[in-house]
Amino acid sequence: MSCITTQERAVAINPTRSCAPIGAMLANYGIHGAITINHGSQGCATYPRHQMARHFREPVEVASTSLTEKTTVYGGKGNLLEAIKNIVDRFHPTMIMVCSTCLSETIGDDIPGTIDEFQEKNPDITIPILSVKTPSYIGNHTTGFDNFLREIANSLPDKRKKKGETNGKINIIPGWVNPGDIRELKHIVREMGLHGLWLTDYSETLDGGYYEPRPHFARGGTTVEELRSSSKSLATVAIQRYIGGEAAHIYERRYGVPAHVLTMPIGLANTDAFVDTLTEITDHQVPEVLSVERARLLDALVDTHMFTSGLRVALFGDPDTLEGLVGLIAEMGMVPAFVLTASESKPWAERMVELTQELGVESEIILKGDLHELHMRIKANPVDLLIGHSKGKFISDAEKIPLIRMGFPVEDRFGYHRRSIVGYNGATALVDEITNVVFERRASGVVSNTLIELGVEGPTSIPLIYKNGNGNGKN
Amino acid sequence: MELKSSATLPERALHIALKVEGGKCQRGDGAGCAISSNSATTPGDMTERGCTYAGCRGVVGGPVKDAIQLTHGPIGCAFFSWGYRPHLADTDFHMKYTFVSDMNETNIVFGGEKKLLQSIIEASREFPEAKAVFVYNTCSTALIGDDGRDVAKQAEAIIGKSVVFFECEGFKGVSQSAGHHVGNETIFRQLVGSVEPEGDFSRTINIVGDYNIKNDIRTFEHLFEAIGLRIVTRFTGNVGVDDLKIMHKAALNVVHCQRSATYIADMMKEKYGTPYINVTLWGMKHMAQALRDTAAVFGLEAEAEVVIERELAKIKPKIDYFRQRLTGKKVFIYQGGPRTWHWIELLRELGMETQTAATTFGHEDDYEKIFEQLDEGGMMIDNPNVPEIEEILTRRRPDLFISGNKEKYLAYKLGVPFVNGHTYDTGPYAGFVGMVNFARDIDKAIHAPIWQTLHKKARPAPVAHHSSHGFAHGFEEGE
Repeated sequence: MSCITTQERAVAINPTRSCAPIGAMLANYGIHGAITINHGSQGCATYPRHQMARHFREPVEVASTSLTEKTTVYGGKGNLLEAIKNIVDRFHPTMIMVCSTCLSETIGDDIPGTIDEFQEKNPDITIPILSVKTPSYIGNHTTGFDNFLREIANSLPDKRKKKGETNGKINIIPGWVNPGDIRELKHIVREMGLHGLWLTDYSETLDGGYYEPRPHFARGGTTVEELRSSSKSLATVAIQRYIGGEAAHIYERRYGVPAHVLTMPIGLANTDAFVDTLTEITDHQVPEVLSVERARLLDALVDTHMFTSGLRVALFGDPDTLEGLVGLIAEMGMVPAFVLTASESKPWAERMVELTQELGVESEIILKGDLHELHMRIKANPVDLLIGHSKGKFISDAEKIPLIRMGFPVEDRFGYHRRSIVGYNGATALVDEITNVVFERRASGVVSNTLIELGVEGPTSIPLIYKNGNGNGKN
Repeated sequence: MELKSSATLPERALHIALKVEGGKCQRGDGAGCAISSNSATTPGDMTERGCTYAGCRGVVGGPVKDAIQLTHGPIGCAFFSWGYRPHLADTDFHMKYTFVSDMNETNIVFGGEKKLLQSIIEASREFPEAKAVFVYNTCSTALIGDDGRDVAKQAEAIIGKSVVFFECEGFKGVSQSAGHHVGNETIFRQLVGSVEPEGDFSRTINIVGDYNIKNDIRTFEHLFEAIGLRIVTRFTGNVGVDDLKIMHKAALNVVHCQRSATYIADMMKEKYGTPYINVTLWGMKHMAQALRDTAAVFGLEAEAEVVIERELAKIKPKIDYFRQRLTGKKVFIYQGGPRTWHWIELLRELGMETQTAATTFGHEDDYEKIFEQLDEGGMMIDNPNVPEIEEILTRRRPDLFISGNKEKYLAYKLGVPFVNGHTYDTGPYAGFVGMVNFARDIDKAIHAPIWQTLHKKARPAPVAHHSSHGFAHGFEEGE
């Protein structure tokens, strides 16, 4: 059976997580024409911008109220009022989201009150101005994203809804994924003959094209009008429990929109659950296209199982991604030896224990963990593969274990934000990538489409492999 | 000259100036005086500036290769400042590891001193080979009144090595520049002069204000050595804690970044009488001058000339090749501070003209140096924000934009060739041989076939299913 451990150190060494404001900023990028004002020190806007630019390779614009020592003493209200005015005048946004920081929370600035005051003084400015609490000392980057969604669910949807009135759409909350993931989810929803209302959709705003002239706002994103009508949707499907799960329940409680909170659709069974949920909500059947994609994933799992079965894998990242990912890992016959997250959620860990038991695998579930902790585990009990974001490269380099890049940030490779890990197609691509990494690692032991396993003694002088010089295998 | 994108922000006019006929300065508000700088950013103007913590942890303290880099604060400050700035060294502990006291809500309510002390002890236990612990303060821990200095003192007694506490909370200044100052002062006060080595230091120098971005120092260190000088300490690039402790022994400080590091040169001059000279280690003329000026202090002029002649001969054919390809090109340089004025001459040596020059956190002296070097018609801008940068790229249409990672994708979305001057596309760019790299990257950026393809093949954005909101940031192309 899997076990749960909690990291005990006070100091975090090489954390896997960042902080709340970046989550709210990312989510806000999924709304067409929305702009974020970060109420705090300039670094709290500039650092996340820089980090997002390194991951998405897109211009990322976030405003700051530029608090300094003086404003810290007298309060940042004046700066916030000025910032909102300046953003409205120069950018003409469709919506403004103000997220807080350690600084503005600790000095006790009343952001909602300041926004009310602004709106009273400027009755002609009618765009929504939202306030989201995101001090860095509470939770992590996922917390900011989740708080943003709760705020959207609470304050934007149209409350006047006639009985039985519907927009015919399904609210879908993708959570913290990549533009490529959202596009894959859209593909599934479209093939099902359904209309999704995306909370939120940064599939194009953060993976845009080159156009002349450059559009004022990046193309794409959910519109404010769509958000307003989200209370009239048929149902809400959240594919991450900790990002958007609560927002889905708010839709149910406040507007009577039924909530479906699922495991992230990574791998066959988890994608089936997503597709099944869509068929349950509507009476639409699974279309031919998806059936073929599903069969293709099964085919890929069969084709590769001789090379992946039994591999020990260490995973790190956000709870929702890990929960979905162990499904695929088990389907590939691999063992998720270490599953490490920065979260402290006991209920999540307990669910992971149950889940791994159902899947027939054994893991050590590490809560409140950092990458130094994972490194020490791997040193003591080596693994074949490491899966997580770019910061895993330091373990990968030191221990010569391949790193499958996934999650946020992937800053040392190109195009990962365009890939998908969800849906049948995402899983198939991941199965291929993992298998190829195994092959590449043992390149000198690969002959055509087979692998030569070493460590076999025989009464012959024939070398077991031909050194062709391009393998960096452990053998 | 007023930027249309800032029409609603009248105070921004004070941060913009043109060099007009007769070499006179004309500020955005029509006044004939120098531009405002190093002042508070207009809230919500979409600034590119960072915070005091970033200047201290990211720039000055971060490159110290054998110190535990510990942030006292919440997780984000540590995560975002970890491992992206390529201040390389001969070891990579400082690039690979980041440490943080990971303040949570309870710590914020009840104070973080205990957790900080425990963090320092644990970190030093995990990495006993580290020579010191550098602790960086953040907004939240400063506001709750944690006495980090006292904790550092206690920790020092327990772990038996230096614990250096930087009071670099993010809100302290108007930009990251304040963090450079804190970094200089703290290292000077706590480390410099704490060890007295024996030996002859009569022909030694410190390289001050070079952060060894992409191994810049490899391009010029051996040149100083070739004229008979030894380098004691590099402040701070490829530098260890022990080097900082004996920094005061050098006979001369050679100051490269004169925004982020003149502070320590001044303090050393006052306390130890160490003289310093200001140099630029980019470009042919400046690099040669740096060697000459340094050599002159030691009476090694003849040796310097030999080195200069040899090195120039090596690169000259290559530079000539690039000059012929780059002559007449117009450039918009936007760097943190001094690089903007360091590079005007370098670009001139490549036949290029600096059309617009901007800095994120430059002070008055930086803008004086920029203004002096600009040609008539040149524009100077302090702390430009995103719409202003976009307007400059669109209206002044430079052939090249030299800036940093955040601005890179904006330039690309506008189809403007770009070179990353902050962390370098390839690098190193300093010294004589680095200039060839720089020129090669500029040439590659400007002459890449993609620009032809873009401008021939690009199409307008397809009409979206949702409403659109006019053109970029309130001004129109071609105006």
